[in-house]
Amino acid sequence: MSAGLVILVVIAIATAGFFIGRSRSLSAVNGNIRQLHSLPGYYGQTVFLAAAVPALLVAFGWLLLQPILVESQITNMIAPSDIAEGSSRGLVMADVRRIATGLDVAIATGALTEDQLGALSADQSDVRALLGSVGVALASEVKESVLVASKTYREMTATLRSAMAIIVILLSLGGAVFSLSRIKPDFRARNVSETAVKALLILSSTVAILTTIGIIASLLFETAHFFRLYPAKDFLFSLTWNPQFTGGSDLGILPLLWGTLYVSFVALVFAVPIGLLVAIYLSEYATRKVRSIVKPAIEILAGIPTIVYGLFALITVGPLLRDYFAQPLGLGTSSSSVMTAGIVMGIMLIPFVSSLSDDVINAVPQAMRDGSYGLGATQSETVKQVILPAALPGIVGAVLLAASRAIGETMIVVMGAGAAAKLDLNPFEAMTTITVKIVSQLTGDTEFASPETLVAFALGLSLFVVTLGLNVLALYIVRKYREQYE
Amino acid sequence: MTDATNNGAPKKALKTSLIAVDERTKRRNAAEARFRAYGVVAIVIAILALIGLVGSILNNGSSAFRQTFITMDVYLDPAKLDKDGSGNLEKIAKVSTFGYAPLIAKSFEKKFEDPNVGVEGLSAKKAAKMISKEGPAEMRRFVLANPEMIGETVSFKFLASGRIDGYFKGRVTMESAKLDKNVSTEQLMLADQLKAEGSLQTSFNMGFLTRADGSENRPEAAGLGVAILGSFYMMIVVLCLTLPIGVAASIYLEEFAPKNWITDIVEVNISNLAAVPSIVFGILGLSIFINFMGLPQSAPIVGGLVLTLMTLPTIIIATRASLKAVPPSIRDAALGVGASKMQAVFHHVLPLAAPGILTGTIIGLAQALGETAPLLLIGMVAFVREFPAAPPEGFFDPAAALPVQVYNWTQRADPAFVERASGAIIVLLVFLLAMNAIAIVLRRRFERRW
Amino acid sequence: MYDAPNLGATVEQKDIKISAKKVQVYYGETHAIKDVDIEVQDKTVTAFIGPSGCGKSTFLRCLNRMNDTIDICRVEGDILLDGEDIYDKRVDPVQLRAKVGMVFQKPNPFPKSIYDNVAYGPRIHGLAKNKAELDEIVEKALRRGAIWNEVKDRLDAPGTGLSGGQQQRLCIARAVATEPEVLLMDEPCSALDPIATAQVEELIDELRSRYSVVIVTHSMQQAARVSQKTAFFHLGHLVEYDDTANIFTNPKDERTESYITGRIG
Repeated sequence: MSAGLVILVVIAIATAGFFIGRSRSLSAVNGNIRQLHSLPGYYGQTVFLAAAVPALLVAFGWLLLQPILVESQITNMIAPSDIAEGSSRGLVMADVRRIATGLDVAIATGALTEDQLGALSADQSDVRALLGSVGVALASEVKESVLVASKTYREMTATLRSAMAIIVILLSLGGAVFSLSRIKPDFRARNVSETAVKALLILSSTVAILTTIGIIASLLFETAHFFRLYPAKDFLFSLTWNPQFTGGSDLGILPLLWGTLYVSFVALVFAVPIGLLVAIYLSEYATRKVRSIVKPAIEILAGIPTIVYGLFALITVGPLLRDYFAQPLGLGTSSSSVMTAGIVMGIMLIPFVSSLSDDVINAVPQAMRDGSYGLGATQSETVKQVILPAALPGIVGAVLLAASRAIGETMIVVMGAGAAAKLDLNPFEAMTTITVKIVSQLTGDTEFASPETLVAFALGLSLFVVTLGLNVLALYIVRKYREQYE
Repeated sequence: MTDATNNGAPKKALKTSLIAVDERTKRRNAAEARFRAYGVVAIVIAILALIGLVGSILNNGSSAFRQTFITMDVYLDPAKLDKDGSGNLEKIAKVSTFGYAPLIAKSFEKKFEDPNVGVEGLSAKKAAKMISKEGPAEMRRFVLANPEMIGETVSFKFLASGRIDGYFKGRVTMESAKLDKNVSTEQLMLADQLKAEGSLQTSFNMGFLTRADGSENRPEAAGLGVAILGSFYMMIVVLCLTLPIGVAASIYLEEFAPKNWITDIVEVNISNLAAVPSIVFGILGLSIFINFMGLPQSAPIVGGLVLTLMTLPTIIIATRASLKAVPPSIRDAALGVGASKMQAVFHHVLPLAAPGILTGTIIGLAQALGETAPLLLIGMVAFVREFPAAPPEGFFDPAAALPVQVYNWTQRADPAFVERASGAIIVLLVFLLAMNAIAIVLRRRFERRW
Repeated sequence: MYDAPNLGATVEQKDIKISAKKVQVYYGETHAIKDVDIEVQDKTVTAFIGPSGCGKSTFLRCLNRMNDTIDICRVEGDILLDGEDIYDKRVDPVQLRAKVGMVFQKPNPFPKSIYDNVAYGPRIHGLAKNKAELDEIVEKALRRGAIWNEVKDRLDAPGTGLSGGQQQRLCIARAVATEPEVLLMDEPCSALDPIATAQVEELIDELRSRYSVVIVTHSMQQAARVSQKTAFFHLGHLVEYDDTANIFTNPKDERTESYITGRIG
């Protein structure tokens, strides 16, 4: 019985329970609704919730835990000698899963019967060809131990699946019967069902917390793993980044941090003045008509995915900067550079800075402007000497948020900044950032447990800490600023 | 009140006319005009950036929707395809795509009988290289589906190879062909002849939207089919999870949560989660969903889960804003007639907030659709040629995603993929535009002012 | 010094400072001010009274073109300041507002120090050549604003930290620092408590010796206390304009009488 079917059955039981519960409550008072504590629908709801919620929770928990359980059992069945040169336990396990699926398919299509499967042995017959004939291609010949593991895997999965189906459906039925038995005219069905619904609401609002916990836990856990293989001191203070496949890598974060900060700096130098001036113009000068055209146009920029900016950097801005600035000035020949990534990221940040500053500038009370105009100040004097100083904390907050965005941005730098980790001042030189290296270390072919891969988690943790710090600071400043005028 | 009187200095006789503008005011007005001009310049730069961005993508990508095809009449030679003449499908299937390639060369030979067609020094075998490597595969699929056609002459509309296609799109020139080992000037000359003769034409490229990805040396056969389907699957997962969870969480936080430190933590947590770099969510997905829970790599379900966690804060923030916009008088009215708090929320507040929630959800989905970085980490960069199965099993099959496909193509050597990548961006932007348009229409249609 | 209700005070004839002829103001489609003719005298406190929405504040804001900052507002007719049309194309509203200062309903000190608040006007208009001169201007303005003694020890403290009455007097000091010829006050006491109100009213009476003051007020008692001339506005029309004493004791128009006796308002 597949998991989807089990869930459907549970929902069917719960739905049936709803109607039975509803009619049962009605028959308990001979159709005189006024004698019921709650509306009949609520009696139905209590049955529905009792039948569905615990059963589904168990089912999802089971689905998450079952693979972990089975995997740990099967892994022990594969001896280290069965793992081929250049392969890993993970790859063998992937084979096991694939063979198991193949065997299922073979039985489903009739190419194999259960009895034949029981007798199947890798030494005697060509399992690869057999599975190939049902459309499951394998990379290599199947070893006997792997085949046995696959068969066990298949059996365990099937047994656990059936067990789950039985337990979940029984739980659902049990819940339905229990809550049906509680239906009496003075049963407070609405209160019970509302309490249950409220519990679900609370459960949903914890998802955000769980996500944060998940992020922190996974980063900390793997980072600790990394620091056992590679000294933390070298990671934090080494000036070279030079991963080697064969081991003996230098994995210093400083060149990456430098690249990250340099690109972000260029982006902010570009985005902050433009974004701020756009916000000032739109909120202080523009006529309604201009605003109604320009504002949405700039918001479009905000809605464009970063991959588009990345491509723009790669195919347009990069070559343009190389051909018209870097090469004539003799500053470099690379189309991916700090400048390329910085300018494109700056474009991405313009709407971010301008819409945040717009909010902040609009929060400055009109009375301030009136006061200034009443004294004979021009608009620009009012903006520069009254509005901006008044809005300064909010603008600082906006810039910090933009900086945090810039530091965490990935696609633009992956496609625009380059991959060479160096400490250089020339902005037309290709440099690399923390996010670029997270991508390249985690999408590479190196073994997961090697420091070259695990360093990505340490980089991720650094990134998380820096951006979180900036955000908390920025949100605090902005909130303080708002309180001032409320 | 003595301050005012003991300062009796006579007022300066400043009888200046209003109409004569003095020097200082002129300077101040010039500064005003300059400042105003800075604002205009900033807006112009922003708009130009937008135009440059969209223009460069359209300019590079629109050609991806047109493709060069060569129509050829091919004689399906039984001597090659069905040697014993038995018509046995299994035997026919044994002939690999390599067995079909000579048939194309044969039909070029036939074409060369026409005196207007043919270039000095270009053999039919070399001419056959002008057809995409996908061509023989296409023929093989056709023959396996229609074995009775063996022995007949069938007209095929083959994809031209990437270089020939590039020649008609201006990417390849006679000069560049001299240096290119994948194409010769003779082939290009022949292509011109075929175009004049009518068997080579450029037409709308439906395959770009429906085909699976093509390998490194077949840019002409690369399409977005798997990527679009994969993105669609992920959006289904995101929608099915974020909407109920997001709305439930918002209702709790906005309507029921007591004001205490736990609620404060949840709120601070959500606003910070919204600003966590997307790549960190990728790391989360890799270590929790793939390494810990053992879900398959490259699967839409994992992508969907990661994007769900990313979108959740956006949706919660939007939903809370629209719940907040429903005036308290509505709640008071419901409570006043004896409804429970829960009834007031579900019967009155939620329906009134629904348009806002929906708009927020669509915008959140649009954001998720364009997200790339986290998907790279959960293995969606893999080269996937197979279409995922129908849901729910399909959620666990390997698939690509639109934005990741773009990234994937930019990493390949053949310049023809740049056009493909830009074309894919156009498709992505069309989807985003449609989603945002729906959101705007919903907002206009149902917007309520209290 | 402070002569309480000056109902009986005789008003000698003075120069005309502002004269308005056939002024019309439109807010988009709404005709807010209709055909207003008025002559405001120099060195006099003129009060504009009338029920809410009668247009008195709108008219006041026309006198230094503050309405320019509102897109949809349109002014027709002539307003002359010392014989010059302030709505002439060649007139720079910035120069005009330096001559016609304004104090608002709610005290609105800038989020700067007390010193910088007062120095703001002189600085932008370039009235001081050096720091010493600026110090002198600031002190003089604060003295005229009758707040010098309260703040002289803390000129660097933020202006927003003062009490409401002090803030309003600071705003008055800020307005007089640019040496205006006319001072417009838009319900300057409506956000203040009675004690602060009394202080501000006392100050207004002193300002009369130097400036032409125009004050919009809700309170008829206040108009009677501080003004020599009173104009009564109703539904966008200037109904009656006369010496304050006459308006309150012997109104000619029956609408004025109804308002003063509390029947409309």
